[in-house]
Amino acid sequence: MSREIHIEPVTRIEGHAKITVFLDDAGDVKDAQFHVTELRGFERFCQGRTLWEMPGLTARICGICPVSHILASAKACDALLAVNVPETAVMLRRLMNLGQFVQSHALSFFYLSAPDFLLGWDTEPAVRNVVGLVQKDPELARKGIRLRAYGQEIINRLGGKKIHPAWAVPGGVNQPLSVEDRDWILDGLPEAKETTLATIKLFRESFDPAAREVLSTFNSMYMGLVSEDGLWEHYDGRLRIVDPCGDRVLDDVHPHTYPEMIHEASEPWTYLKFPHYAPMGYPGGMYRVGPLGRVHVCDRFGTPEADRELEIFRETSSRCSGRVFDYHYTRLLEILASIERIERLLADDRILSTRIRADAGVNQLEGVGVHEAPRGTLIHHYWVDEDGIIEKANYIVSTGHNNLGMNRAVQEIAKTFIQKGEITEGILNRIEGGIRAYDPCLSCSVHAVGQMPLVVDVVGSDGELVERMTQE
Amino acid sequence: MDWVVGIGNEMREDDGLGPAVVARLTESATLQARAVSQLTPELAEGLSSVERVLFVDANVGSDRVELRSIEPRPSRGLGHALSAEGLLELTERAFGRAPRGWLLTIPGRSFDVEEGLSPESEARVDEAEKMICEWMKRTVVAVDG
Repeated sequence: MSREIHIEPVTRIEGHAKITVFLDDAGDVKDAQFHVTELRGFERFCQGRTLWEMPGLTARICGICPVSHILASAKACDALLAVNVPETAVMLRRLMNLGQFVQSHALSFFYLSAPDFLLGWDTEPAVRNVVGLVQKDPELARKGIRLRAYGQEIINRLGGKKIHPAWAVPGGVNQPLSVEDRDWILDGLPEAKETTLATIKLFRESFDPAAREVLSTFNSMYMGLVSEDGLWEHYDGRLRIVDPCGDRVLDDVHPHTYPEMIHEASEPWTYLKFPHYAPMGYPGGMYRVGPLGRVHVCDRFGTPEADRELEIFRETSSRCSGRVFDYHYTRLLEILASIERIERLLADDRILSTRIRADAGVNQLEGVGVHEAPRGTLIHHYWVDEDGIIEKANYIVSTGHNNLGMNRAVQEIAKTFIQKGEITEGILNRIEGGIRAYDPCLSCSVHAVGQMPLVVDVVGSDGELVERMTQE
Repeated sequence: MDWVVGIGNEMREDDGLGPAVVARLTESATLQARAVSQLTPELAEGLSSVERVLFVDANVGSDRVELRSIEPRPSRGLGHALSAEGLLELTERAFGRAPRGWLLTIPGRSFDVEEGLSPESEARVDEAEKMICEWMKRTVVAVDG
């Protein structure tokens, strides 16, 4: 009798989700689906609010990624005002986004995923967490904790709060950077860089390359922003899409034209939509975003240490490999690049200027804000009336772009490990690990609250639930 | 140095009880009061140099404001947020020592998406504040609610 396996809730990610694995009569995997089971409707309840409220409102989509939404929203509002944001405000917004990259990537790597690598996929779930990591390698855990705290403190110093800082506003930012705060950030850079370099070395040298295949390998296109000269970009720039081996499918595209190339498909079994590259249709137009996407689309980082490490990464991990596990590697590379970019920004005294905001009224009735959040390309698109009241809003968030990729990862891992209907907790963890590598934020992607536990359901060919395994 | 840490989300009604209590406290050379949405590992380093810590959190399933001492204990949490006991455990293991810990729980009635406490809970804040003042006066180990 064929069966379905459901994993619900998925653990160590942000939001609520479930995985269903469908087995055939022989007990082998026929198909697998990653369901997002929560709905919040931010696009709808922003209607009728003023554009001035949007950065603060949309920041509430998530407690992990508020900085990402504030910045994308402020950029969309800049477009509505049709203003030139002062250069210092742009530098400060960049600084905050880089702080967000450091804290978010550190959380994903050290707190959520490293326990799997260091303790093993089959370790008892009760200790497979950050406390277990401390027991196994207290020095690494301590450094990871301090690295995340450093990224958070950059956000705190700029915005006055670690979470939901109401700091980026339409036209700029509402508070300059003090000399004292600049110096504090500068003082922390050497330790942050040392921690990151040591962790990259550990990651590269300590993990058996074969183990990297555990989280599945498949080809897809990749998408991300790059600068005018093709460098890694996180705040502005042009969209680039490359094929699995890095050849350009689309280049130098103004992000405001995203509706022409990205369409969204829906499925009845999940609230999370499926963005895809429109010319190739659905689901053939699968692309991936985030650390792996950005590293594949850029020519190089444009900073010395990160470029050195990127070279090693590209020597050991072919651009064509498509390994999901490489999300972790590229996440670490991006922390390093962020640290070097922070160093560069703070070396420029213009960052201390108090000219930080342009004032204007509504000058355009439609505005798009696009930048790179840690998890990938984030798009806010607003339509307003003459008074600046939001008539319609559309968000395409990083996790949504990766929906096709996450589903594919779940299918591949399930097919590799589940044989003849035999399923263990370690196999469930590997399936979760495939999702976790993307560091999805489901609070953002369906615009909902909460953390993300995992449930796996096993369903027979007759449609009956055979088994349910839950992790809390 | 002692810390009082109020845990909760002020935009979810009574979940904001911890931050509401902390807002009443006056910081001094021997007391730091802070409000957090969740207990995260980044608090551990600061905690390792603290003598005593009192966590204040909303509670369901009890009608009383209760104060009890807590010990370091591994947290089962799989995410980035920890229990008070789990945070003490992490602090001890990662940074060498943990402060003596207490947990003050305050009954919450309503946790809807709204700012402000429910009327029943407002009164509990006064009671909690008095208990914290008593706790602050005690310097001996045994404080058991």
